[in-house]
Amino acid sequence: MADIEQLAESVDSLKDSFEAHRYICSNQIATAVYLAFHLRKPVLIEGPPGVGKTELAKTTAEMFALPLIRLQCYEGLDETKAIYEWKYGKQLLYTQVLKETVDEVLQGAQGFAESVGRLHEFGDIFFSEEFLEPRPLMKALQEEAGCVLLIDEVDKSDHEFESLLLEILSDFQVSIPEIGTVKAHRDPPIVFLTSNNTREISDALKRRCLHLYIPFPDTDLEQRIIQARVPDIPPELRRQLVTFIQELRDLDLKKVPAISETIDWARTLLLLHTESLDPELVRDTLNVILKFQEDIENVDAEIATLTNAAVRADGIGAKPRP
Amino acid sequence: MDRTLTHFIAALRNAEVRISPAETLDAMNALELVGYRDRAFLKDSLSLVLPKTADEKETFDTTFDQFFSFEDVAEQSVAVDGEGDGEDGEGGGEGQGQGEGLGGGKGSGAKGRKSKYAAAEEEEEEDLGPGAMAEPRSALGKLLIHEGNVELTMRMAEAAKEANLTEIQVFTQKGLYTRKIMDAMGLADLVAEIGELRASTHIPERRLAQELKRRRDWLRELVRDYVERQFLLHADATGKRLREDLLQKVKLSNVEHRNFRLIQEIVLRMAKKLAALHSRRRKVFKRGQLHVSRTLRHNMSYDGAIFDLHWKSVKVDRPKVFAICDVSGSVSAYARFMLMFLYSLEEVMPRVRSFAFSSDLAEVTELFERNKIEDAIAKTLRDYSGGSTDYGQAFQDFRKLCMDDVDNRTTIVILGDARNNYGDPRTDILKEMYDRAKRVIWLNPESRNTWNVGDAEMRKYSAYVHQAEECNSLMHLNRIVGNLLRMVS
Repeated sequence: MADIEQLAESVDSLKDSFEAHRYICSNQIATAVYLAFHLRKPVLIEGPPGVGKTELAKTTAEMFALPLIRLQCYEGLDETKAIYEWKYGKQLLYTQVLKETVDEVLQGAQGFAESVGRLHEFGDIFFSEEFLEPRPLMKALQEEAGCVLLIDEVDKSDHEFESLLLEILSDFQVSIPEIGTVKAHRDPPIVFLTSNNTREISDALKRRCLHLYIPFPDTDLEQRIIQARVPDIPPELRRQLVTFIQELRDLDLKKVPAISETIDWARTLLLLHTESLDPELVRDTLNVILKFQEDIENVDAEIATLTNAAVRADGIGAKPRP
Repeated sequence: MDRTLTHFIAALRNAEVRISPAETLDAMNALELVGYRDRAFLKDSLSLVLPKTADEKETFDTTFDQFFSFEDVAEQSVAVDGEGDGEDGEGGGEGQGQGEGLGGGKGSGAKGRKSKYAAAEEEEEEDLGPGAMAEPRSALGKLLIHEGNVELTMRMAEAAKEANLTEIQVFTQKGLYTRKIMDAMGLADLVAEIGELRASTHIPERRLAQELKRRRDWLRELVRDYVERQFLLHADATGKRLREDLLQKVKLSNVEHRNFRLIQEIVLRMAKKLAALHSRRRKVFKRGQLHVSRTLRHNMSYDGAIFDLHWKSVKVDRPKVFAICDVSGSVSAYARFMLMFLYSLEEVMPRVRSFAFSSDLAEVTELFERNKIEDAIAKTLRDYSGGSTDYGQAFQDFRKLCMDDVDNRTTIVILGDARNNYGDPRTDILKEMYDRAKRVIWLNPESRNTWNVGDAEMRKYSAYVHQAEECNSLMHLNRIVGNLLRMVS
């Protein structure tokens, strides 16, 4: 735990350590993790797909050397899949077994009241921790040394599920009617929620979270990200391809390429032993960055212009360098 | 309780960032951790805690920069110290100083004006030349001559607090508050001192009088700028809100063109609210299919005796909405906003089909899919609004075009004044629609008592609609579309 305290001592130390784990982040992102750790608040991360929302949670877990517990949200997800479930198969089995012993227990009992009294002595064993099957959210609370809990794509789940999350997000506890309240251990989990904004998240949920919006990175940051993720790529090509992608984002596209696409593209180009961008090559590899045929057709006419612009911009940018 | 933070939050709320008390508490915790020392760090931290959407973050950025803009005063001070060269006269700075460019623009503005003041004074006063200066005696005088800008700014902020500057409401109060702040800073003493000094025969004292006067004018500019900034932060939205309230109630045909932008904003906001209200999908229970695992689970508490049954459920999509809009001259203004509203609700009403007519009816759904809402509306009005109104013809076209698509999940909304130029109303087709559709709603922009006057056929039509409503302001629209959403689901 001391390590974590040390890592999270300041925003800068967090940033450095993120970088050491090959996650290049802006001050804003590092501040979010810093506040999340010190204020013990969950972080709701929003932003276009592919900017590293999920990656942030994974890297945080890696960095703090904590286990990562992940809950992928989808429509129809409910408490039995997210929080806990009774092991009803086991319960049924035990009922069968008990049925046979019930006679022995009741033997010699006088009158109805006493029988019931004896039965009561069994207690509510069927609804004890023995028969409880913890699901991700509960598991996260039960981790002794704390953990990183990632609730992925919370916008995909139903409204009802959001309400279920409220208790765990504000108080780090869940209430189970049959047992009582399960509280987090000494170190509550560091919680990340991600959302692609397919629908508006309720105010109640937002209120309980820090809200981090990760936009597309600027040229500088994206270059550093590519450098960290695809270190073998020649610097010239790296500059060109980032410029190209940045310009592509300004176009009116159905789905603009995100960082993950840039990384994929860089890897592709590296594999093809490319030294510098040229229109033909871009045309052949366009399907790595654009995921809709419509977009590819739209961009097709502009490829030459964009490529030349990117190459030229790089030439200007590169000259002053020694 | 941190006054600065609460004031900042008030300013944010004024800029329409919604902040709950819980978030205020969070902000205080964050502030405790972060402190005021590092401006960028503070901004990053607060922007994580307070604004909760991408839009709000933008608003937050500008508000933060405006609110915590004390450094700018320091820049202006340079202009005062280097007084001699201030002849470039860019005096028009204040007019455009709408909060952006606080640093550069205002600084040079103050500088230019100041030099003009200096010039005016030099005309009436003799040139005393450089030399020794007497010591000021009044508190404000001392502050002006000796203290740095940080002290001056702090004193100004204190005085502003005494004068309750945060309660400023309308722009005419700017002068009043400037005066109040100056008074609170001890202007009276300074004026008295200047008067005494000028009457003096002693040259260094006269020199001081000039210097004090110059700095007093400079201070006045400073305070005025400060008030201006605070006004933009604290009061600007109040006026806007008043206007918005008014616009919601005004008749849509009377809305002036310059307000369209604002109306559109309001429509979008209303639509968003409605969408949020109705975006939850409902579950429909389908009898007949047993949800085995859930039934078993729920019956555990009854010792495995299965008597509380649970059924599988399916989710139903939103129903279809057909909007038929009269876009002839008299009604087109309403059609514009109605279409705007319907298409702003895309999220909850994915299948709106719209039709426009004045005499001939055509489907414009595709137009709206391909273009932005404003463009689509403009195109619709351009292409279909000519010709005299003919409801009979329009209904006939509708029957030909898509009567087959009307089924018992369809809601038809007709917007029109039912003024048919004494033509055949073709109520038989409306009856057919009425029989097939789940619901037919007629929205009439005219007030109810003129519905049957002249060539209006509302009496005949209203026999074959489920609901006829008067609809001529944003409030009506909001209520009706809200009801629509509730009923059709």
